[in-house]
Amino acid sequence: MPRTFFPIEHFACKPQRVSLLPFRFTRIRDKELLVNEAGEFLFAPTGTVSALLENSLDTSSTLYKDLKAKQFVYDETSSALLDVLATKIRSKSDHLMGGTKLHIFVVTLRCEHTCQYCQVSRQTASKGEFDMSRETADRGIALMLESPMPALTMEIQGGEPLLAFDMIRYMVATAKKGAAEKGKTLDIVVTTNLALVTDEMLNFFREEGVKVSTSLDGPAALHNKNRPRPGNDSHQRAIDGIERSRRIVGYENVSALMTTTSASLQQVEDIIDEYVRREFHSIFLRPISPYGFAIKTRKKTGYEMETFLEFYRRGLQHILNINRSGYPLTETYTTILLRKIFTPNSTGYVDLQSPAGACWNVLVYNYNGDVYASDESRMLAEMGDWTFRLGNVHRHSRRDLFMSPAAINLFEASCNQALAGCSDCAYQPYCGADPIYHHATQGDIYGHRPTSGFCRRNMGVLDHLFGLIDEADPTTMRIFWSWITGNPLRLEDSECA
Amino acid sequence: MAVGQIKEGTSVLVKVDHRLVSTEAMMKVVYWLSRDFVCDVVTKSDTESVVMLAAREPADWVPAEIEDLFKTRCLDFALREQVSAKTSEVRDLLLAKAFAESGVLEDQPSGTFGDSIEEAKPDGMFRILNNRI
Repeated sequence: MPRTFFPIEHFACKPQRVSLLPFRFTRIRDKELLVNEAGEFLFAPTGTVSALLENSLDTSSTLYKDLKAKQFVYDETSSALLDVLATKIRSKSDHLMGGTKLHIFVVTLRCEHTCQYCQVSRQTASKGEFDMSRETADRGIALMLESPMPALTMEIQGGEPLLAFDMIRYMVATAKKGAAEKGKTLDIVVTTNLALVTDEMLNFFREEGVKVSTSLDGPAALHNKNRPRPGNDSHQRAIDGIERSRRIVGYENVSALMTTTSASLQQVEDIIDEYVRREFHSIFLRPISPYGFAIKTRKKTGYEMETFLEFYRRGLQHILNINRSGYPLTETYTTILLRKIFTPNSTGYVDLQSPAGACWNVLVYNYNGDVYASDESRMLAEMGDWTFRLGNVHRHSRRDLFMSPAAINLFEASCNQALAGCSDCAYQPYCGADPIYHHATQGDIYGHRPTSGFCRRNMGVLDHLFGLIDEADPTTMRIFWSWITGNPLRLEDSECA
Repeated sequence: MAVGQIKEGTSVLVKVDHRLVSTEAMMKVVYWLSRDFVCDVVTKSDTESVVMLAAREPADWVPAEIEDLFKTRCLDFALREQVSAKTSEVRDLLLAKAFAESGVLEDQPSGTFGDSIEEAKPDGMFRILNNRI
């Protein structure tokens, strides 16, 4: 008869003195969700936090071992491994290192579309005075190249930038030459509605390695309703442009973004199906931005964040079902948050950073040389609010921009660790601070969290994602991991997971 | 905590005993509930406050729900306060350590820390913390 041996741990002394490491908690369904300073999380039974504080948790339990392994507690039998925890925190804040990566150039305000939600103050297609000059472009590019970042992204947008194609040619050549001289790598993206794109332009993009980002709001009726233009053919032109761009520039160099208007709310499945029909493998379910023209037209295009959250939850379910059927499709915002939840890495997504990414990670150079902390702050300026104008390329140095009153004011409200409502929030490591959003929507850069659309959206999305994580459906988790890692989804393994 | 008189169907008065829930924790609860309730806080003494919560959308609430919500939130914030009290110094040192090595701090954090061997050192973080306490 075989003899049974206890594992060696059975004979060890039980820890007598349990010490806590910093963490925050919230309640999800009937559980407590504990999140530590580095964003590692653990679902625990209700009462766990109280038990930890009372030092009454069974130190031989699996729960205690999990808490120890995930650095919520340590005791005299273990090391706190604080260096490791500090390294994880530093990795999460990687966006603070190296300076500004994303540089957005508004080469013209002209546009032939008349979208109600347009985030810029567009001008008619013939008004050349709203184009960027070569002198302004030169100075903006020089400032961009002064960034200590070794890898830069230059995004060229409008208005409709293809209306200023000669300027695009000039800027691409100038920026690439300057980057090569400074030993920096440079990604260039043109954000365009593609309505006016020609094969000549696309051939230029291919030769210069320029990527194309466009808008696709959903099926034809919705897209054309959201994005009116003469001839009511915006959708047809976008689809035609996408297909030609893929053929000439390359499939992987063409991406699309959608904006959710009130007209979109009941059509989330149709919108997603349109992305699948057009052979996209990612979609970003984005709420409308409360800036620029969107504020003027909000009665037509706006909605409550709660309504958007329902749109998001339905959409995510549909996307998961599409993945289950074998077609890989990621939801971009979900993927960003899942990476924050499950990996120690920083995502580089400007809107979910603390300290906030505006100014620090992105600068916007307007057609007239004004420099803004983000595209959203430029949109505010187009509506007459210059709160976040950092300076002008012709008058200010890079140091001047970062030391400007506008920048300092922004930095003051940029850390969610120090904001009312955020400082105690379990989701703090996954979330960000968005002073510009709160200034635009609440007239206060610090913001009032209980009524903040930014907070409601992120709390709602994270509640939903943690609910799915807690359910731990094997297929859903496999889909999530394929999104996080970028590896192909292998559904056949789900059954035995 | 104790619930006092119930007013007009969708408002409640709650007495808060500050020996159980601090003023700070209570004010954090009031902050979060301010979206759905008009909150009126009256300090009765060093150890007691009274909070009146009136629903902004009366049709959405019954008094028992309001009472439960307020009490649950108070207890959670009291727990958070305790966790913070027990961990704030470690947290400060962790953040200082994390960012000191990135070169973004002008002043280096005092003390060193890392593992159990480090803990035993005379100048280790845990000794420093113990001396402070």
